[in-house]
Amino acid sequence: MSLAAAIRDRDPAALPSRRDEVWRWTDLRGLIREVPPPSARMDPRDLGPGVFDHLATSSYVVANGLEPVRIEISAGERTIVALRFVSRGQGAHAALAEIRLGEGARLRLLETYEGEGAYLADASLSITLSPGAVVERIVLADDDPEAVSVSHANVKLAAGSEFGQIVLTSGARRQRIETRVVHPDGGAKLRLDGVYLLEGKRHADLTTVVEHQGLDGVTMQMTKGVVRDQARGVFQGRIVVAEGADRTDARMEHHALIVGDRGEVDAKPELEIYADDVACSHGNTIGALDQEALFYARQRGIPEPEARALLTEAFIGEVVDRVWFEGAREIVRRWAAQRLRGA
Amino acid sequence: MAAVRQTVEHVESLERYKHGFVTEIAQEFAPKGLNADVIRFISGKKGEPEWMLAWRLEAFERWQAMEEPGWARVSFPRIDYQAAYYYAAPKQKAGPKSLDEVDPEILETYKKLGIPLREQEVLAGVEGAPRYAVDAVFDSVSVVTTFREELAKAGVIFCPMSEAIREHPELVKTYLGSVVPVSDNYFACLNSAVFSDGSFVYVPPGVRCPMELSTYFRINAENSGQFERTLIIADRGAYVSYLEGCTAPMRDENQLHAAVVELVALEDAEIKYSTVQNWYPGDPETGKGGIYNFVTKRADCRGDRSKVAWTQVETGSAITWKYPSCILRGNDSAGEFYSIAITNGRQQADTGTKMIHLGSGTRSRIISKGISAGKSSNTYRGLVSAHPKAKGARNFTQCDSLLIGKHCAAHTVPYVEARNGQVVLEHEATTTRLSDDQLFYVMQRGLSQEEAVQLLVNGFVKDVLQELPMEFAVEAQKLVAISLEGSVG
Repeated sequence: MSLAAAIRDRDPAALPSRRDEVWRWTDLRGLIREVPPPSARMDPRDLGPGVFDHLATSSYVVANGLEPVRIEISAGERTIVALRFVSRGQGAHAALAEIRLGEGARLRLLETYEGEGAYLADASLSITLSPGAVVERIVLADDDPEAVSVSHANVKLAAGSEFGQIVLTSGARRQRIETRVVHPDGGAKLRLDGVYLLEGKRHADLTTVVEHQGLDGVTMQMTKGVVRDQARGVFQGRIVVAEGADRTDARMEHHALIVGDRGEVDAKPELEIYADDVACSHGNTIGALDQEALFYARQRGIPEPEARALLTEAFIGEVVDRVWFEGAREIVRRWAAQRLRGA
Repeated sequence: MAAVRQTVEHVESLERYKHGFVTEIAQEFAPKGLNADVIRFISGKKGEPEWMLAWRLEAFERWQAMEEPGWARVSFPRIDYQAAYYYAAPKQKAGPKSLDEVDPEILETYKKLGIPLREQEVLAGVEGAPRYAVDAVFDSVSVVTTFREELAKAGVIFCPMSEAIREHPELVKTYLGSVVPVSDNYFACLNSAVFSDGSFVYVPPGVRCPMELSTYFRINAENSGQFERTLIIADRGAYVSYLEGCTAPMRDENQLHAAVVELVALEDAEIKYSTVQNWYPGDPETGKGGIYNFVTKRADCRGDRSKVAWTQVETGSAITWKYPSCILRGNDSAGEFYSIAITNGRQQADTGTKMIHLGSGTRSRIISKGISAGKSSNTYRGLVSAHPKAKGARNFTQCDSLLIGKHCAAHTVPYVEARNGQVVLEHEATTTRLSDDQLFYVMQRGLSQEEAVQLLVNGFVKDVLQELPMEFAVEAQKLVAISLEGSVG
């Protein structure tokens, strides 16, 4: 069951549905009656520059799924790559990207999803790290409100490697951004963060699966979301600690604000533990803005809309502050502020 | 060396499961297997009216069309539903009038289990000691229900289910299957077709039940399943506290226990339901035998400001698969769930709760403590759902898991759904092992390792234990210690 298979075979029966437990809140089969024909070719040169291009050493564009991208970072190399997945029109397409890092290589991956139209898009990434390699992946997803988009990344860590990620999304008609990380060897560090800011009838699903198989793994995870109107946010986080993966330290947090009356947030923070020498925890809260904080701000003379904006920005700011790459952090912060203030 | 041998012998002689004995009595069985005739046989044995038989047969028909679910994190060989007896009852005169007519072997069994069946014995106890009424269910039938007259004075109906069907058909018709519909799930549907006995409680408006009610379930017969059905109705402003206990003999084959418990709380009513589950867990080394405990328990907080609290201590069963739930339909109704689930040896538990917030201002609280030791697996699975009309719904959930040993597993699978913006749903979970520092500190004070573990574990589960009625809390605390015996070292 996958969107990629459904696009390839033009078979809606291959789409995941709510009967698949991991897709219960992101039903594609109930939404899509017919898989549209393949998207038209598009010349990436017709596009303007991307938001991160000025920061990057090299830029790659995957337009309507064409041309798979392969990026090799050799041992010890440090680089910044902008990777853009661009979708246009009403068709269906699937994109592929593969990234490999040599020993001790460092990569800042600035990934964007940009779209216009009611397209059906699937993107599949694989990121493989060698020992001591460091990756920071920053994903900014700006899909069309009418689009259906699924992105899934498979990340393989190595001994002593580090992987930091933040996904920021404004959702789509239905959207899922999934990250799976395996940690087979000892001593890997992982940060998996996410922000979803949804309005109208948008939907976003941030799903992560982390599998600790080696010793001394560390996972720090924080996802926050703000949902307005009739939008729907989904968070599914799963941390697996295999037998023998001792001294794993894993912390997962998910917090969501529902603004207004008709938004919806669904969460499933899962722990699956087969080792005893571990410290794992998760916290999950869903609710409205803290009335006391709001009252305090208003009592200090801040008008209500301003106070709300300040509090929500501070709420999201905690996640954005965790981005390592300063240049990108500022772009991301502005992006979030615009979305929070725009509504 | 002699001392070592002595210790070894002593340890071997320790009874790991002291309720594992079998009572030798003449019993009456339904023909082995399951078909419409067996259901007619059960219904006939109970002297049931026609409508009840029709209800059962319809359930059986639906059950045949259903598939056994497989989503829980438990694994077991396929159950052969045709290889079991669905009705087993001690041979006795129809409807014993007094305890003197009950088979002395059965009375002896309950005495051994420490269950007081003789009212005068209870009354002869220390003055002011807690009293509680007992409904004793032995395999498929209720053998005795105590304190009925005293309860009747208060207007409380406490009787075996089979009697309620005959004596109070209007209440049974109104409420049976109204919380757990016939085809709710595979095991509930099977229960609806073959259920044999269980307890029925009705507390009239404004009455506070004068004593704790309890049912003690005992599986005795070989190759039989137990399918009891419990229905508790607390009418407007009523209050009742109900306790449930259960044990079974040690046998090498698995036995199925598929019960259905339905609670209905009307306006301002409150029900407190406590379970100490101590079914035979199977052999700790080989995993052979033990009870499959696949139970559907659900409460419907139908009236405004009603309240239901589930408290469970799950120490037994080879496999536990159950989720006592609350449907918070009435405005400002409240649901609570306190659970201790302990698995040791090769036990598997997949348990938790569902809190469905439908009415406005509804509140729920979940405290779950899971302890896994040996080669066992313990899963908390829960759902908290606030529907669009549940404005102001509030939930707090805390699930903590403790791991003792290298080969056990602990999982947490919470589902949280918020469908309106005026809710506060909070969830926190931790998974750790016993802290070395704490163990060291306690042992340094002169306690043995086993005692130290017991002390720390008791501290870990304290939040839940204090929710239990007093006499149960003491038993539960001992049970926690016994269940973890042999898990350290």
